[in-house]
Amino acid sequence: MFSSVPERLRSSYESLRQHKTRSILTILGIIIGITTVIALQSMVNGLNKTVERQFKSLGADMISVNLHEWGIRFGPRMRKPRPRLTMDDSEAIGELCPSVATVAPTLYEHQRLRYGSHTMGGVEVVGTTEPFTRIENYELDYGRFLTKADISRRKDVTVLGFDAAQGLFGAEQSLGKRIRIGSRAYEVIGVLKEKGAIFGESLDELVIIPATTFEKQFGRLRTVNISVLPIDRAHAVAAREEIRILLRRRRKVSPGDPDNFAINTAQQLVDQYKQLTGVIFAAMVGIGGLSLLVGGIGIMNIMLVSVTERTREIGIRKALGATRREIRFQFLTEAVILCGIGGIIGVLLGVGLAILTARLSSVPAAATPGTILIGLTFSSSVGLVFGALPAIRAARLNPIDALRHE
Amino acid sequence: MNGDLIRLDNIEKTYMVGQIPVNALRGLTLAVTQREYLAIMGPSGSGKSTLMNIIGCLDVPSKGSYHLDGNDVSAMNDDQLAAIRNRKIGFVFQTFNLLPRATALGNVEVPLVYAGISAKTRRERATSVLERVGLSDRIHHKPAQLSGGQRQRVAVARALVNRPSVILADEPTGNLDSKTGAEIMDLFQELADAGNTIITVTHDPMVAKKARRVVRLVDGTVAEDTIQ
Repeated sequence: MFSSVPERLRSSYESLRQHKTRSILTILGIIIGITTVIALQSMVNGLNKTVERQFKSLGADMISVNLHEWGIRFGPRMRKPRPRLTMDDSEAIGELCPSVATVAPTLYEHQRLRYGSHTMGGVEVVGTTEPFTRIENYELDYGRFLTKADISRRKDVTVLGFDAAQGLFGAEQSLGKRIRIGSRAYEVIGVLKEKGAIFGESLDELVIIPATTFEKQFGRLRTVNISVLPIDRAHAVAAREEIRILLRRRRKVSPGDPDNFAINTAQQLVDQYKQLTGVIFAAMVGIGGLSLLVGGIGIMNIMLVSVTERTREIGIRKALGATRREIRFQFLTEAVILCGIGGIIGVLLGVGLAILTARLSSVPAAATPGTILIGLTFSSSVGLVFGALPAIRAARLNPIDALRHE
Repeated sequence: MNGDLIRLDNIEKTYMVGQIPVNALRGLTLAVTQREYLAIMGPSGSGKSTLMNIIGCLDVPSKGSYHLDGNDVSAMNDDQLAAIRNRKIGFVFQTFNLLPRATALGNVEVPLVYAGISAKTRRERATSVLERVGLSDRIHHKPAQLSGGQRQRVAVARALVNRPSVILADEPTGNLDSKTGAEIMDLFQELADAGNTIITVTHDPMVAKKARRVVRLVDGTVAEDTIQ
């Protein structure tokens, strides 16, 4: 009693083809909805991948003691000025905290580099001590890193980050050469391996010099960032607590007052990031859902028009033996096909946008098969839901009235 | 009594027009045997169309019983009626009522689609019926590409294709010129001679004259029943 599915599909497709412009306009909402969902989902996927990789490169167990908390703050920024962290604080943490394995103070400055006729502007100059590479997860490509002697003798030596080495020397051998950092000349003693970027910012555009030399050149008044490595992962919490107690005492924070410094971990960034992508995801679902809703209402509207226009056809079909179920199925199929086509176009556009994003930015956006499947399922479901009322209405038409309809 | 193809007993049909009930059929009784060629005539408002709809299972009587081919149609639900229309009735309408987007072949196949017949068999049967009504060279034309007479022939082919118990024609020549109309009547004559049961509703005496039996309706009942 039920006609074949290919038969249906062909007849539905035919009737949609009759009204090409109308059909396309109708499914625009669906297209926009699915495109939004697919494109955003691809981008979030890409971001997730990047960030995962980046957090690994950051050093998972590293603790960073800074004046302020890391990351993006939601809401107004009301900061009281805080007394700076010093080289002595760094040393004290290394000596007095039993759960801490190593400490490296880090000082930052942006300077112009010069080697011969090659210059690089705004390069990060890091003044630090010898454990820095271990704590911050940098590997030496060739040459050597800073030694205790370099620090104590305030030597004018530098280790180049990958990008800095590339920018100044290209393929040329850099070891032993002298470069200018700002106004001062330094001898290149080592080059670091490439580490990549985090949030689009390169981790390799830096030069490292002894902290002591740094203070000699740039002064002693800036705050020191203290990079700390706990003995092992199990001691991470203890290390943070020891540092906190120590610094509160050293900085004379009254009991009950909040810390006037921050103990940051990579985990905090991960949490922040998760919060951010959570917001993006919610927005994505909202926008996509809204377009699908609007699209669905459009579908319902056009299907109701279609039912009215084809009242006579429905009458004829009923006279020739179509059951209610057959008529319902016919119009439902049309709505689902309409939305399905919208879904396919949306998926193609979304995937296209993802590819374009991957090409034009550092975000490796890529649509997953799961996303595509969800897109197609969703759009077809919209057809099913919003096509139901017109289909039921068509099926309930009285054949006599339908046949008389002009 | 059991040999009757169609048996209408004391049929009443009441419509509500706004608040006012209108009795379209008032206790109509009619029996039609197989292979009959019957014309139903009557002035407008006599209940012709209502009777046609009830015989064609597009509508059910308010009172009375209707047996078609041994089935009690008056007690059937929508889907059962659809099945009866599909298998037992072949409609020919005044305005042809072809699907404009489908070809002649596609139109003739529709009843077979709802009968759940395979595509190959559908095609064969539809083609052979179209040949029978003289349209073998028009099977891939759409209604808009056919003349009025050709369209009505497609409609007749569609009515025949599922081998119905009865062919119901509602003013089949009403939208045709007299020459084409005469050709369609000749086609009906042929079908009647071949053993089909035909009921045609008309107010055209020329059409009625072709039938072997004429039933005249007045005020919703049979006023005259004559064999010609």
